[in-house]
Amino acid sequence: MQAIYIQILALILLTIGLATALSRRNMFFVLMGIELSLNAVNLSLVGFAKTLPAAASIAGQIIPLFTIGVAAAEACVGLAVVILLFRNQETVDTDNYSNMKG
Amino acid sequence: MLLHVLVFAPFLAALLMVAASHHDYRSASRLAVLFAAALTVGSVMLIAAGSVSTTPHEWFFIPGCNATVYYVLASHGFGAWLVFLSSIVGLAALIAARSALEAHYRNFAVGVFALMGALNGTFLAGDAVLFFFFFEAMVVPAAVLIGAYGGTDRKSAALNFAIYTLAGSAPMAIALWYILAKAGSSNPFAIMLTIQMLPAHTQNILFWCFALAFWVKTPLFPFHGWQAQTYAEAPAPLSAILTGVMSKAGVFGFLYWVIPLFPMDNVANKMMWLGLLTAVYGSLMALRATDAKKLLAFSSMGHLGLAVAGLFALSASTLPAVLVLLVGHGLSASAQFLLTGVAERFAGSRNLADMGGLARRNPVFGFFFGFSGIAAIAIPGTVGFIGEFLVLLSLWSVGGLPAIVAGFCIILSAAYMLRFIQAVLFGKAKGSLAKAPAQRFLIGDGLAVVPLLILLLVFGFHPAPIANSVSMPTAEENSTDGGYDESWENASDVAGDSTAADAVLEDSLVTGTDSVSAAQEVPENAR
Amino acid sequence: MMIPLWLIPLFPLLGVLVLTAIALTSSPNEKGADEGLVGFLGVLFPSLAFIATVMLSVNMPVGGYRETIGTWFDIQVFHADFGLLFDGLSRIMLLFVTGIGSLIVLYSMGYMHGDRGFARFFAYMNLFLFSMIVLVLSDNLPLTFLGWEGVGLCSYLLIGFWNADTKNCKAANKAFLVNRVGDVGFLLGMLALVSVGGSSLLAYPELAAWLVNPEMGEQLLAGMPLLTLAGFLLFLGCTGKSAQIPLVTWLPDAMAGPTPVSALIHAATMVTAGVYLVVRLSPLFAILPEVLMTITVIGLLTALWAAIAGLFQNDIKKVLAYSTISQLGYMFMAAGVAAFDASIFHVFTHAFFKAALFLGAGAVIHSLAGEQDMRKMGGMLRKTPVTATVMVFAFLAIIGFPFFAGFWSKDLILEHLFMFNHFWGPVFYTIALLTAVITAVYMTRLMVLTFFGSYRGSAESEKHIHEAPFCMLFPMIVLTLGSVFAGFLWAGLIPGADFFKNWLAPVVAVPQMTATQYIGVPSAHVSTWMFAALGTLAAILGILIGWKAFSGPVPQAKGDCAPTGGKADWTFAFDKLHAWCGILPTRFLAWVTDVIVNRLVMFLQWFVGAVAVIFSDGVRSFQVRKVRMQLGFSILGMLAVLVIAAIYGGSL
Repeated sequence: MQAIYIQILALILLTIGLATALSRRNMFFVLMGIELSLNAVNLSLVGFAKTLPAAASIAGQIIPLFTIGVAAAEACVGLAVVILLFRNQETVDTDNYSNMKG
Repeated sequence: MLLHVLVFAPFLAALLMVAASHHDYRSASRLAVLFAAALTVGSVMLIAAGSVSTTPHEWFFIPGCNATVYYVLASHGFGAWLVFLSSIVGLAALIAARSALEAHYRNFAVGVFALMGALNGTFLAGDAVLFFFFFEAMVVPAAVLIGAYGGTDRKSAALNFAIYTLAGSAPMAIALWYILAKAGSSNPFAIMLTIQMLPAHTQNILFWCFALAFWVKTPLFPFHGWQAQTYAEAPAPLSAILTGVMSKAGVFGFLYWVIPLFPMDNVANKMMWLGLLTAVYGSLMALRATDAKKLLAFSSMGHLGLAVAGLFALSASTLPAVLVLLVGHGLSASAQFLLTGVAERFAGSRNLADMGGLARRNPVFGFFFGFSGIAAIAIPGTVGFIGEFLVLLSLWSVGGLPAIVAGFCIILSAAYMLRFIQAVLFGKAKGSLAKAPAQRFLIGDGLAVVPLLILLLVFGFHPAPIANSVSMPTAEENSTDGGYDESWENASDVAGDSTAADAVLEDSLVTGTDSVSAAQEVPENAR
Repeated sequence: MMIPLWLIPLFPLLGVLVLTAIALTSSPNEKGADEGLVGFLGVLFPSLAFIATVMLSVNMPVGGYRETIGTWFDIQVFHADFGLLFDGLSRIMLLFVTGIGSLIVLYSMGYMHGDRGFARFFAYMNLFLFSMIVLVLSDNLPLTFLGWEGVGLCSYLLIGFWNADTKNCKAANKAFLVNRVGDVGFLLGMLALVSVGGSSLLAYPELAAWLVNPEMGEQLLAGMPLLTLAGFLLFLGCTGKSAQIPLVTWLPDAMAGPTPVSALIHAATMVTAGVYLVVRLSPLFAILPEVLMTITVIGLLTALWAAIAGLFQNDIKKVLAYSTISQLGYMFMAAGVAAFDASIFHVFTHAFFKAALFLGAGAVIHSLAGEQDMRKMGGMLRKTPVTATVMVFAFLAIIGFPFFAGFWSKDLILEHLFMFNHFWGPVFYTIALLTAVITAVYMTRLMVLTFFGSYRGSAESEKHIHEAPFCMLFPMIVLTLGSVFAGFLWAGLIPGADFFKNWLAPVVAVPQMTATQYIGVPSAHVSTWMFAALGTLAAILGILIGWKAFSGPVPQAKGDCAPTGGKADWTFAFDKLHAWCGILPTRFLAWVTDVIVNRLVMFLQWFVGAVAVIFSDGVRSFQVRKVRMQLGFSILGMLAVLVIAAIYGGSL
């Protein structure tokens, strides 16, 4: 399998993720979209790592592991924020979150 | 060790104050006063210690301009006395704040300690970047305190103050960056030598960048726009610190971070006249002010203008003259602000039209207020007289006209201060004061100003501790050329020796331009 | 007998501390402190100072005593000591300062009875005496300046003593500010001296030694312009303190203070400080003929102007105030023709008779419950006989009636004026003699209006008129004795009666000799009896004119007692001058600063702020309400960065 296919897949995933994050109004979908694009980047990294010699490719495989860990933590915090926001505003519609506008 | 303590203990005290009771302001105030008293003792020890400095530690490296920044503190007589001023005025302000702020006492004390730490750092820093760091840092607690506990117009005052002073020092930051890139070190001595190698045109631009920061901080005309509003809106104890100590940071900056670094022959005269203009301007504004605290703010501007004028006279008596003037003004002006805060509480207004007759209503208050007012107009026997006399002496050595202008300011200062005393103490109660119920003059407020007033008298009759702490190096010490080589070697040593830089600094004050040319020859000799 | 010199100022200083403590602690108490105790302490400390002075005066060596207590300030280019000097000049000054001071403080016990600020008053009086003693006793100019400003401060505090009335405060402010102008002259004068020969010149003995040191001849010659400048500037200080032209206006207003204050500070002691300083610096002034000439002319003009102004006043204290100014003018003219000893002699006799006059006037005012308008007095001779007797003796002394104190001193001054030189001597003499006639006229007017005729006040107030209590009468009687007999200390007509001259000789003899070299040849000697006869004639002529002009019916008093019309123009000429040359320009400058310049600065500040706000508003419009839009913007921004990087290939 050629490396380029992996990259194309990653690009498609990233596009879907960003499109979801930008077009959906529901906060949960926005978060899911962001997660998807993160994973697309992970995939891309792993794909590029595969093209390198074995010894060097280790680094490319480790970084996605970190990213997954951080993304998990981020998802935790993000969901907690969403819950608090929902309690506060009684909505998960992102367009209603405009209190911070100066 | 003492130097580290004096810079970091206030910050530690601020942290500890966070743990103090939020509800019981009395217990919080006991703790705060204890800390401030300990700091005062420390500052007295620092004065007694004379010229000391810490061993420089490498702090960080600025990759962009290839310069290493050191953490080094140094105390010379001048800085030590200003640290003393910050401690004693801080102590007075913390005592007076008991009645002025009550419920907000704890948070106020946290801010005041942070401010004191930044001020002490400014006066003791032996490294240009470190100095700049503290110089900027002091704006934050001051602005927060004004914005949180000030008068009705506090938000605009805090914003005005912060933006004005930060914008004023922005050019200095850029100039400092440029110099560091050239010098490769933030040691003042290295900076001085680097600047002297630059073409005159560049020197000039760098000078005005540096001067602007202190110009705004002091403040000198025409960048005084923030001052009156800030001093008026800030709570009285904070105003006392602002005028008593923070305004000195500007003059201190001119003295230690402008005059020794730059050749003065073209600009000294301009800056002196600028100082005199500010002095006249502030006095005239004070003559017409109707707001008690604005009157004091302009009076402060007048005195500091005189100090800057004396500074740039660059005569043999400059250092002691300016230091004595600054200490005297710090003590009397902060006492006046604290007492004006009390008068404001009595009257419920800062307006002079709402006061009057307080000498009959509160004779003890009248005594303190009159005393501090009279101390502010430089009656011999108070330290203000010695300061103004020596500044006059410095100006006289430049020429008769500057001395006459300064004399005019001295007359004006009596005019507005007597007007102020009359409006507050004498006649009959007017406006809102006439309707307000009689209030007691609290012992705490008296206790806050008593040390200041006593010191005014003590130093008035015995100014030797102040004046001698900055005594000039004698002629024999100056004439030995070895001194220069030695200090150059010290400075080229990565560590840098700030005391050596100080010696050169004082020297350049004495001889003005001569030492600059002398120092320019030094590098060749050293090579 | 030798006791430490610092004991003299120490006593009043202790008095200040004790009385301030009493005044502060008793202030919340409605009744105030115990008057007996406060009065006792208030009199005790000045009397102790007087006793100490007397003990030092007895058997004083010719050179006097000199003592340095410590260093005041000492920096590389300037040195000042707390040095005290007790010599012939300061002995005389101190004797009458502490002596008359103690008497007047005693008098105040009666005068201030029942006042709420009783303790405060005595604290101020002691502070005044402390400052005055320091002024007189110091051996250098900076320390003299400490006393100089100190007495000015006390003068300010005491003029505005009854501070509930803003009018009194305004008078106090005026006194302080006018003096401040002179004080700046004093300061600059000191600086000029320093720049000629270093700060050691500020000590009087060193200055005198330096001026006659032949090795310094060249340096002295080179420094002459600066020395002359210093002389003028220091004399400016003297005109402020001693109320001479042009800084004359504050003294009449200073009468707003309690009468003992007027007697002690504004007649007997403080206002003579200027004369004292000129005499103290006589070695300097002796070599500056231009300055001496100026002093004489200023003295003459002031004396004449104030004497005429005295004719126009209706307020009894104002008459005495102008009279004081006029007499001070006499002292300055004497100093100007280098008759320094005659000048101090007049200071000495004047202290007695003017203090007696003021205390007498105070007793009259006290008995009339505060009435000061002479048009509402009259016939007090029968109602208060002791006061009237005191006033009559003091009156005879001031107009120079033969054998009273003023006769001897004024005669001496007139004689020296005449002998000044061939041309100017007779001119000066004539003006001074004319002034003497006018003096007699206005003093006669005062006596006639106050003590003769019939009482012109309301019948209600007439019932309450009473003679002053003993503690007020006693000082008046002592001062009367002084104004009768003090003149015999230097009675020119009696051979051998020149003790005063001998006491002062160690201080002023050399300068007087020096000055004659610079001034020129004195004119031919005329008989002393001739001057005495002319002086007596002037006094009698004045009495006759005064009696003739003012013994008739007195115009009805209406409004306040300020003079009106042309009289006011004359009286307030210098107030107008100050207003036009000093106050109005300053006010205008302040107006320009406040209303124009400061507004402009504020506008610029506002303008810069406004531009920043407008700009930031523009930037803020990118911040939209929708979270998703913002996300879109950030992605677009990143794309833009990528595109630029792609185009320039990272070489940017």
